[in-house]
Amino acid sequence: MDVLTVKDLSVSFYRESGEIEAVKHVSFSLRPGEILVIMGDTGCGKSVLCKSIVKLLPDIAKIKTGQILFQGKEITGYSEKEMQKLRGASFSMIFQNPMTALNPCMSVGAQIAEAVRLRSPELSRRERWDRVIELLELVGIDRAKERAGQYPFHFSGGMAQRCVIAIALAADPAVLFADEPTTSLDEGMQEQILALLLELREKLGMAVILITHNPKVAARVADRAALMRDGELYRIGDTEEIFEEIIYNNY
Amino acid sequence: MRRSYITIIEELIRFVLSVFFLSVLVFTLSRVAPGDPLYAYYGDRVEKMGTLEQEAARERLGLHEPIPVQYVRWVKNAAHGDFGISYQYKRDVKEVIAGRLGNTLLLGGLGFVIIFVLALLLGLFCAWREEKRADKIVCGIGTLTSCIPEFWLSLLLILVFSVWLKWLPSSGAYSMGAEGSLADRGRHLLLPLTVVVLGHLWYYAYLVRNRLLEETRADYVLLARMKGLSGKQVLYRHCLRNALPSYLSMMAIAFPHILGGTYVAETVFSYPGIGTLAYESARYQDYNLLMLVSLMTGILVIFGNMIAEILNERIDPRIYLKTEAQQRR
Repeated sequence: MDVLTVKDLSVSFYRESGEIEAVKHVSFSLRPGEILVIMGDTGCGKSVLCKSIVKLLPDIAKIKTGQILFQGKEITGYSEKEMQKLRGASFSMIFQNPMTALNPCMSVGAQIAEAVRLRSPELSRRERWDRVIELLELVGIDRAKERAGQYPFHFSGGMAQRCVIAIALAADPAVLFADEPTTSLDEGMQEQILALLLELREKLGMAVILITHNPKVAARVADRAALMRDGELYRIGDTEEIFEEIIYNNY
Repeated sequence: MRRSYITIIEELIRFVLSVFFLSVLVFTLSRVAPGDPLYAYYGDRVEKMGTLEQEAARERLGLHEPIPVQYVRWVKNAAHGDFGISYQYKRDVKEVIAGRLGNTLLLGGLGFVIIFVLALLLGLFCAWREEKRADKIVCGIGTLTSCIPEFWLSLLLILVFSVWLKWLPSSGAYSMGAEGSLADRGRHLLLPLTVVVLGHLWYYAYLVRNRLLEETRADYVLLARMKGLSGKQVLYRHCLRNALPSYLSMMAIAFPHILGGTYVAETVFSYPGIGTLAYESARYQDYNLLMLVSLMTGILVIFGNMIAEILNERIDPRIYLKTEAQQRR
């Protein structure tokens, strides 16, 4: 069974100037453990698509039509409370700029511990902290015990992105949304983060929706790829076919 | 312990220097400002004095010497705890202030605490209910109250609660013969306190609201929401923490501002406090009184800033590390 199915999803922004359709009749499905890369130009609706699935759209945006099914169960009409449970347990997201995604006033360990507590409230303080260290080690942070007490500004971009991934993994998610996770990083760091994502997918078996406008990133990790244009999911399929499409049509 | 002894010594030096510059500034400005301090001392009699008589009076008050000489003398005396006499009250300025300081601290201090807490709560509430009906209503009422002039509000309150309803006294700090009664003090405080609080509250609450709303648009909020936190939890646990340093800094500076803001309430309600004293001392060139009141206010600002800085470092580690890095350089 597909872990996530999106059928005919349309999302609009309602401004004073009128309605802007950001996502138009998008349909796709995601298999367990699969990495689906969504490519497209800036502003084509990739991020809005992901945020509409996890229901983190701004107030002015609304899902107009469509269905979202998670593990076969429809979640389109889920209330905010129900979505909170789902976000903390089944969906996770990592963002483009790790330095702004982390709260600057909280230690990295405290931020991961918060995610652990929400996922496993039964854990004692000590067990929670052990899990924090375990997660930091899992994403390749050296001297995890010491670094857990440090703040985001103590970390480089790549290291901070690893911490964001650790937060995402605290939920033990079935689907990880990665919204341009390598865009703000240099090439060496990009490669490390992508290798980490692949390694984690192997270890934990989560499905990943990775958004990027970098074909190199897509080629490195994608099981399948999708191309978005002006809010529409223009093409979805085998990665090589999509690349041919990109080259042929000069996207 | 984050603050080293060196930091504490540095801050003490900074404190002494700030007080020194403040005293030079107030001393010089008050003396070059137009007006004659003899009026404060002798009243209208000055007009009947001859030039020689006026010169003799100036000499008696030590006002005939050049400003730097006067300042050095003032510093020497102040170092021994002698801040001179008030020209207007013909008494030691410390005595004049001591009689009123408690009243102002009570009114201004209570006002400050109430404003501090209420502004935070209102700001949080409005940010939580952003653009919803409740937010709009609170914003509307807040804007309206902040637009009402304090003296007019004071008169309105006197008219309603003192004249019509006869519930609360319209003037003074306590009733004759009831100096020790807390209930009586409270009744006298209620109206001036309402004016002080309403006069400042919305300004700070609106600031908290906007600062929090800025934070709610930050990227870390999305990550916090993805963890499974509700919007309200994110607001309290994350946004408030990030908005607090700027609020604390602002409130540290606001303390003397609010204390000074008690002046209108003190005047209208004939409340014996420092606010009226500060105004009178500046108006009548009561130099010694003006110096002490200004210094006290200045010291309050400096202390407030120091406390805010310490609190901010505890909340936001970036501030502490920035200071540490600057010191290393």
